[in-house]
Amino acid sequence: MQIKAVFKNYEYLLFLGVFLILLPIGYALDLVSVNTVSLWGRYFCFAIAAISVDILWGYTGVLCMCQAFFFCLGGYGIAMHMLLADKGTGVYGAVIPDFMVWNQVDTLPLFWEPFYSFPLALLTTLLVPLIFAMLFGYFIFRSRLKGVYFAIITQALALAMWLLFLRNETLLGGTNGLTDFKTLLGFDLTTSTTKLSLYLLSCMVLVLVYWGTKKLVNSKFGKVLVAIRDSESRVRYATYRVQNYKLAVFVLAAVIAAIGGMLYVPQTGIITPGRMEVKSSIEMIVWVALGGRGNLKGAVLGTLFVNFLYSIFTSLLPGSWLYVLGILFVVTVLYLDHGLIGLPAQIKSIISNKRTSKL
Amino acid sequence: MLAQPDEMTSQLISKDQALRTQALEKLVREKKIEHFPLISAINQKRLYLYDQQLVTIGEPIAADRSDEYQVLKVYPDTKILRNNQGGVMAKKRAELTEVRFSRPARLILLPVLPYVNLVSPKLETRKLAFVQFQQNGNPEDLKILSDARDLENDNYMSRLATETILSIQLKSSKITEKVHSLVDQLVSNQGDNTAYILEQYLEQIPKSHPSYSYILTQKEDLEDRASRIALIQNAFSGVSLGSILIMIALGLSIIYGLAGVINMAHGEFMMIGAYTTFCVQEIFNSISPNSSGNLSFFLSLPLAFVVAGAFGLLIERLVLRKLYNRPLESLLATWGISLILIQLARSIFGDLTSVSTPFVLSGGWEVIPQLVLPYNRLFIIVMTIVLVALVYFFLYKSNNGLRIRAVTQNRDMSACLGISTAKIDAMTFFIGSGIAGMAGCCITLIGNVVPDMGQTYVVDSFLVVVSGGVGNLFGSVIAGLGIGQLTKALEPIFHAVYGKVIILIVIMIFLQFKPKGLFPAKGRISED
Repeated sequence: MQIKAVFKNYEYLLFLGVFLILLPIGYALDLVSVNTVSLWGRYFCFAIAAISVDILWGYTGVLCMCQAFFFCLGGYGIAMHMLLADKGTGVYGAVIPDFMVWNQVDTLPLFWEPFYSFPLALLTTLLVPLIFAMLFGYFIFRSRLKGVYFAIITQALALAMWLLFLRNETLLGGTNGLTDFKTLLGFDLTTSTTKLSLYLLSCMVLVLVYWGTKKLVNSKFGKVLVAIRDSESRVRYATYRVQNYKLAVFVLAAVIAAIGGMLYVPQTGIITPGRMEVKSSIEMIVWVALGGRGNLKGAVLGTLFVNFLYSIFTSLLPGSWLYVLGILFVVTVLYLDHGLIGLPAQIKSIISNKRTSKL
Repeated sequence: MLAQPDEMTSQLISKDQALRTQALEKLVREKKIEHFPLISAINQKRLYLYDQQLVTIGEPIAADRSDEYQVLKVYPDTKILRNNQGGVMAKKRAELTEVRFSRPARLILLPVLPYVNLVSPKLETRKLAFVQFQQNGNPEDLKILSDARDLENDNYMSRLATETILSIQLKSSKITEKVHSLVDQLVSNQGDNTAYILEQYLEQIPKSHPSYSYILTQKEDLEDRASRIALIQNAFSGVSLGSILIMIALGLSIIYGLAGVINMAHGEFMMIGAYTTFCVQEIFNSISPNSSGNLSFFLSLPLAFVVAGAFGLLIERLVLRKLYNRPLESLLATWGISLILIQLARSIFGDLTSVSTPFVLSGGWEVIPQLVLPYNRLFIIVMTIVLVALVYFFLYKSNNGLRIRAVTQNRDMSACLGISTAKIDAMTFFIGSGIAGMAGCCITLIGNVVPDMGQTYVVDSFLVVVSGGVGNLFGSVIAGLGIGQLTKALEPIFHAVYGKVIILIVIMIFLQFKPKGLFPAKGRISED
């Protein structure tokens, strides 16, 4: 019985085997460079964000086009902490980060203060997207904005926030963003050990987030979410408070995305407003769509697949990536209703349909 | 037979250094406005001898003949020399004998140099020269200034010259009545800098001066007037921004209403229209390099419509036809299409191209002094009004428009009644995308043509569609004007970026009360 259950979930074993055992071993044997390991670590962060898109869009039917913004909120939070923790090690040796010295700011702005200590920074970084999503979501869902309207409003939000973060007055580094981090919790970010640990941490957080959301979507709460996706009015007629469910899942998604961003920034070493552009959010949606909407496995698979393709195409055929991405969008939407994860079933049904039509 | 050179010319071209110096000193002493072109030519080392006349070279004769110049006679009178056929004479530098002056000789001219720019052929130079005299002119300059004013036939420049003269007179006059009348003249002259001149004058005189309060009220009136004009200018740019948004939102709204398709590639149809305009201009330039751009621009308007419409039709046939009434999926697919189109434009045209404004649309309409409405923006507004009117008549007064509205309301029922919905869809996409193409053509008048130009406008246009009520023509017009106005009204108070954030907040609050926009679609079918 036990063994049967294990074999039923062979995808999980495969995933854990490859990424938790094979890749680290490969690194230990010098077969895989530390940069490759770190690259996959970053993909896991994207996958965490993709899960947040999937519980929103795939399960609740709310197409949110600002998930990259929440991702970046997490990233900026941890970046601010790292800059403050490294104080005095910048080019100018000042207590405040270097970019503030260029911008003739001499005292640390008040909203940077909570990011000095790690626990407080962690808390703030999770609270900011939570509160933001709660306020924004409350007003949006209260007025029963849904579908296209919701997508467009969140898109406008992403645009506005991107413009805001580009400014120097917001004291978040402007166009250049935040960069030049040295340590996290005292560990040197440039060493391979730290990179490997961050990779393992991302992998484990991904597994944890996956497990948690899986529990969630299989719970009664999750069933209501799916019901909202399929027919919102009927759920409302059944006296469910639809907006509360939507708000809860929206806030949860924002926090999950922020966690992804928090793990992402120490591994890339830079966060710029470019990450929160409208197109980054839409790209996250296409990861989910390609992998298989309404399927958490699909979200992870789609993210890893698209990003892997990205790294191949940008190195082999620079300039062609946008064509590939554009075609991926169109093909996914037109032909892959259930994404890559549903492809075998789709092919099977086409074949059996043909067979029945022959009879 | 060569003409005999006059005395000044023969002195200037003689070999005798003393004679030349004498001639230069005479020029400086006389300080005659007629001599300024000559002095300017000497100072810029562009004095030549041609046919025993003193000449200088003007602008190059044509863009592709940059080594041949117009020839201007500078003494004793100024005129452009003509060749035997009566056309403008073109000479290369080598064909003219240069008349050289040593640096010490040219330094003799120093005292008159501030004046020579007053008669420069370039308007900008003249403008600057007059403004300098407003700052530090003396009563002894008045004669030359008023001579220079008599030479001006441009309305704006003669106002500026009068202003300069009056300001110098004001500074030097002591009699109260005289001051009054000078201030009145200044005010009625309606020059650009009058308020500033009065302010400076107020700083010079003591508060006890009998005309102090009078000048103060005059100055404040002028400043009020300036701020009113700024307000009107701002409202005007709001309307012009709004019209662009309306033009883009028009097609977006019709297509969404009809097919339930959110077209993220709509901005790219605009980009296609803009590049069509660019291509037409390039073709015209290669045929006749000196064309003013009028014909090419007005020809590209309908062409942009057709080309963008054709692209829209193609995309509808290939992709969107399978996505009717699946707005979220269509949103993703069209986003992919827009990525492909942008990258395509980038690889064909490179990153930055621009279309030159056609000659008839350069400049502006001076309603009253200081209030100038640029023709290109006026044209965009007029174009929008025409387009909205055309779309209205097409949708509400023509048979095809009736069919479009029928399919929008109930696709299945329309099909039952014998309307070919596929044909109607194709037509609507063609028209919707074509309008975006025309918008792109108009936008070349005010901005550069870049591959991702559509993206800047498309989010704003979406907001227009959402707050106007999806699929509603008049909702789009009102929302477009509203958002355009609001953007421009917030810009002077906050930075443009914060303005955008505020607009988003305003729209969100607005949607709290009107979740389906200004004019929501009526009927029970809209709910699932």
